[in-house]
Amino acid sequence: MEKSHFNFDTKEAISKPVHVGVVASGDLEVIFRPTNQETEVNVVTGSDGFKEVWGNVLKRFFDRYPIQANIEINDFGSTPGVVNLRLTQALEELKDEK
Amino acid sequence: MATRSWTQNRDAKAAKLASISSILDGKFVKTENAKNLLESVINPGDKVVLEGDNQKQASFLSQTLPSVDPEKIHDLHMIMSSVSRPEHLDIFETGIAKKLDFSFAGPQSTRISQMIADGTMEVGDIHTYLELYARLYVDLIPNVVLVAADKVDREGNLYTGANTEETPVIVESAAFKDGIVIVQANEIVDKVPRVDIPGDWVDIVVPADEPYQLEPLFTRDPQNITELQILMGMMAIRGIYEKHNVQTVNHGVGFNTAAIELLLPTYGEQLGLKGKIVPNWEVNPTPTLIPAIESGWVQTIHSFGGEVGMENYIAHRPDIFFVGKDGTMRSNRAFGQMAGQYALDMFVGSTLQIDKYGNSSTVTNGRLSGFGGAPNMGSNPTGRRHSTPAWQSFRPDDDPLGKGEKLVVQMVETFGSNKKPVFVDHLDAEEVQKEAKLANVPIMIYSEDTTHIVTEEGIAYLYKTDSMAERQAAIEAVAGVTPVGLRSNPKQLADLRARGIVALPEDLGVRRSEAKRSLLAAQNMDDLVKWSDGLYNPPAKFRSWS
Amino acid sequence: MLQNVSHDLLAKVKDLTGVELTDDDRAYQDSIQIQLGILVLQLFNIRQLRSINQSPAAVAGHSLGIFAAAVASGVISEDEAIKTVYIRSQKMQESYPTGYGMGAIVGLTRKGVSELVEKINSDVEPVFTSNQNSELQTVISGSIAGIKKVLALAKKDSAQKAVLLKVPVPSHSPLMQSVADVLETRLATVTLHDPKCIYLANYNGHAIRNVQGVKYDMINNLVHPVYWDTMMDVAQELGIDTSLETQPGQTFTRLVKSKFPDFRTITMKNMKLDDIEFLLEKWKRG
Repeated sequence: MEKSHFNFDTKEAISKPVHVGVVASGDLEVIFRPTNQETEVNVVTGSDGFKEVWGNVLKRFFDRYPIQANIEINDFGSTPGVVNLRLTQALEELKDEK
Repeated sequence: MATRSWTQNRDAKAAKLASISSILDGKFVKTENAKNLLESVINPGDKVVLEGDNQKQASFLSQTLPSVDPEKIHDLHMIMSSVSRPEHLDIFETGIAKKLDFSFAGPQSTRISQMIADGTMEVGDIHTYLELYARLYVDLIPNVVLVAADKVDREGNLYTGANTEETPVIVESAAFKDGIVIVQANEIVDKVPRVDIPGDWVDIVVPADEPYQLEPLFTRDPQNITELQILMGMMAIRGIYEKHNVQTVNHGVGFNTAAIELLLPTYGEQLGLKGKIVPNWEVNPTPTLIPAIESGWVQTIHSFGGEVGMENYIAHRPDIFFVGKDGTMRSNRAFGQMAGQYALDMFVGSTLQIDKYGNSSTVTNGRLSGFGGAPNMGSNPTGRRHSTPAWQSFRPDDDPLGKGEKLVVQMVETFGSNKKPVFVDHLDAEEVQKEAKLANVPIMIYSEDTTHIVTEEGIAYLYKTDSMAERQAAIEAVAGVTPVGLRSNPKQLADLRARGIVALPEDLGVRRSEAKRSLLAAQNMDDLVKWSDGLYNPPAKFRSWS
Repeated sequence: MLQNVSHDLLAKVKDLTGVELTDDDRAYQDSIQIQLGILVLQLFNIRQLRSINQSPAAVAGHSLGIFAAAVASGVISEDEAIKTVYIRSQKMQESYPTGYGMGAIVGLTRKGVSELVEKINSDVEPVFTSNQNSELQTVISGSIAGIKKVLALAKKDSAQKAVLLKVPVPSHSPLMQSVADVLETRLATVTLHDPKCIYLANYNGHAIRNVQGVKYDMINNLVHPVYWDTMMDVAQELGIDTSLETQPGQTFTRLVKSKFPDFRTITMKNMKLDDIEFLLEKWKRG
C-alpha cells in the first residue's frame, strides 16, 4: 500500500461532487469534490513504485482539463489508461450536471 | 554433343516412387511405414514444405519427420508458413534440417531466436504469407510437400473442408513440378463429400494415427473485453469506419477488434450506420461476429481458415460464408491473403510496440515471432486503383494523378500487460535484428503504411500529417504517459485537434461514460451461442458450464 | 530440514567430504552446511520420485539446483555431485570475505537494469547484471558499493522493489571465475553421461541434450547469470505443462505460476509422496 499526494495550480472550479469507478482488481474509484483551495489529489494504491507514473497521468489530465477540485483516488492496480478513463468519465458527469 | 535429357526431374520422381513399391498399395502407405516412406523419398538437402499455419498442422507427418535417420536425411531446407510445434525445431537440433524459410513462429519464438543466434539454424527469409506462397513457384520450388487432409478416397481425392487453408497452394507447387505430394489423412472413405484437391495431384496418402492438430485461434471470449477496449471501439466506429465510409475490412486477432464486432449491432445501430458500413469481410469466422451477422450487418465473409466450433453455424448461413455443395465451408489462405492485401478498404490490427515514428512490431526481446499475414493486410499496395469511397477519401485534391490509399489502423492501449509502455523510442525488434543477425529489422507494419493509430486517449490521423515531425507529434498526443507520450504538450495538442490530425473522444462525440460492458451485443460465450440459435458450439476450453 | 532424509545419504556426505550435517539454523549460516544440506535433500527427493517410477521430460535447476538436476537427468552420480558441491561451496566461502554480494530489482525490464549497471560498473566498484528470474525481476551482483548505487538509480526509475540480498558472494558474475577454474579441474576427471532428458541450462537458457553442455553449466554456473525466465519459456515451447519443485521451497513454483497460470504444479515441500504419485498419474491419463 502506497500513499501519494499531488498539488496542481488549476482554476476551473467544479460545482458538485462526483464518484466514478469501482473497487475491483485492475480498477479504481475516483471521487471529485469542489474546493476553493489549491487543487489536491490523494492517491492510495496497491501497487508500489508507480509514483512517477501517477504524477505523469495527473499532470497530463490537468494540462488538458484544468479543473479546481479535491480528488481522492483508491487504486487497485489499474493501468494508466484506466486511470485516465475514470478521471475523464468523472469530468463528463460534471458536465452533465451543469 | 551429348543429348540433354529434359525429363530428369520426372525420371528422378519415378525412380523414387518405384523404390517404395514394396510399401505402396496404390497411393496408400500404412501408418506404421511412414518413417520408412520419408527416408525413401526425401534426399539430403531437399526443399521440404511441411504444412502448418497458425491453426492447422500436419502433425502426424511433423512427428514422424524427427524419427528419420539423420545419417540418411540431413540438411533439409524446410519451408513452413508457421513454426508452431516443438518437433518443427527439434529436427534442426538433430541435423535433419539446416535451413528454414518461414512466416510465423509465435509459439516457438524463444527457441527459434536461440537457434538462429547459435547457428543451429540458417534462416532464408522471414516472409509474409503471400511472399512465402509466391516463392514456392519461383525460387523455393519444393521437392517434397507434407500436407494434411480430413478425408481421402481410394483415388487420393482430398477433402480438406473448412480448414482447406494453405493445402491447395502448397500441393500445386509440387504437383506440377515433379515434387512429391504426401498427404496425412484423418480418415479414408469411399467417397469424399467434395473434392477440394484432385487425386491426380496427390502421390502418396498415409492414414494418420490421430486427427491433425487444429487450434481455435480466433475465438475471443466477450467476458474478457474491457471498458478501454470498448471506448477504443466506439472511437474507431465513429472516427474511422463512419468517417471513411468503410465497406470492406479485415480484423486482426484480438480483443480490440472483437469489441468493434460486438459494438456494431448496438452502438453502430444507435448511430444509424447499419447498411452503410462494412458489409463485406475477409476474416476468419470469429464467433464474436455472430451478433453482427444475425442482426443483418454483414453480407459476406470469406475466410483464410475455419474456426473450431463454428462449422455448424457456417453450414446454416451459406448466404454469408463460402460453402460447398456438400454444405461445409471452404477456406483458402492464399486467396484470403490476396484479398487482404489487395481488395480491402481497411485493415485493423494490434501490436505489442509502436515506435515514435509509428513503426510497429510484435517482436520483443529474445523472441522472434515473425508476423504471418499482418504485413500483407497492413500495407498499402501502391499498384492498385480502387473506386471505393474509403480509398478515394485519401486521394489528394490538388493532384489529378494522385492515388488513394488503403486504411491501415493500429489499435493499442498505451500500456500493455505488466504496465510496460507500448509506445517506445526504439523497438525491441532493432535489438533482435542485431542478435539474430537478420537482414531486416523485423518490423510488422511500417510507419509509412499506417494511416491511423487508435489508443484509449484518441485517434491520430497519421495520413494527414505533412512531415515526420508532425507525424511524431500526432503519435505523442495519443501515447498517454509513455516516455513518447510525455513529449506532447497542451499547445501542440490544441493545434493538432484544430487541424483534425488528432481527435479525442469528445471531438468525435464519443461519451466515455457509455463505454460499458453492457454496450456489447454479447457479454459471454453463452450469449454468442444464444445469438447463433444454438448452432455455435464453443470448444471446451471456452465453455464455462462444462 | 533433513529429518526425513535417509541416513545412508547423510552418511555418504560424511564419508565423501568429512562434513557432518548438523541440520540446525546456526549451521545453515555456513555456506558449506547449507549447500550440502540442500543438495542431499534434493537427492533424497530424486530417490523418492524414482521409487514411484516418475521420470521427468526435462530438468531445470537454479544455481546450486543444477547439481540435483544433473543427477536427476543421469549426467552425474550422487557421489560425484556431493564431492563437486562440497568444493564449490568451500571455494565460494573463501573467495570474497567482505564487501561483495547481490541485489534484486523488481519492476524494471532486464534491459532497463542493464542500462543502469553500465552506468555504475567500474574496476573499483564492479557490478553486473545477473540472474533473470522473471521478466520484471532481475538480480545484480558485484561489489556492495556498486550494487547500492544501482539500487538507488533503480528506485529513481520507479522500480517497485530494489533491495540488497543477504548473500555474501557476488555469485553469477565474472568475479567468480576462480571457482569455475577449480571446478573445471575437478570435473575433468569425473565420468559424466549424456542426459536422459532435456537439461535446461542456466548459462544461456537453452535446451541441452548432450553431456558437454551440462558439464559447461556445472563448471561455469557461477560466472554466468541464471537465465531462469528463458529456461521456462523454452520449457513451455517444448510442450511442457507440468512442473514439480523439489524441496526445500516453493519459490520457483510461484515464478512458474505467475508466468504460466495454466501450468499444473507440485511442490514436494507441501505434498506427500503418494499424493504426488496419484496426481502425476492422473494428469498423465489426461
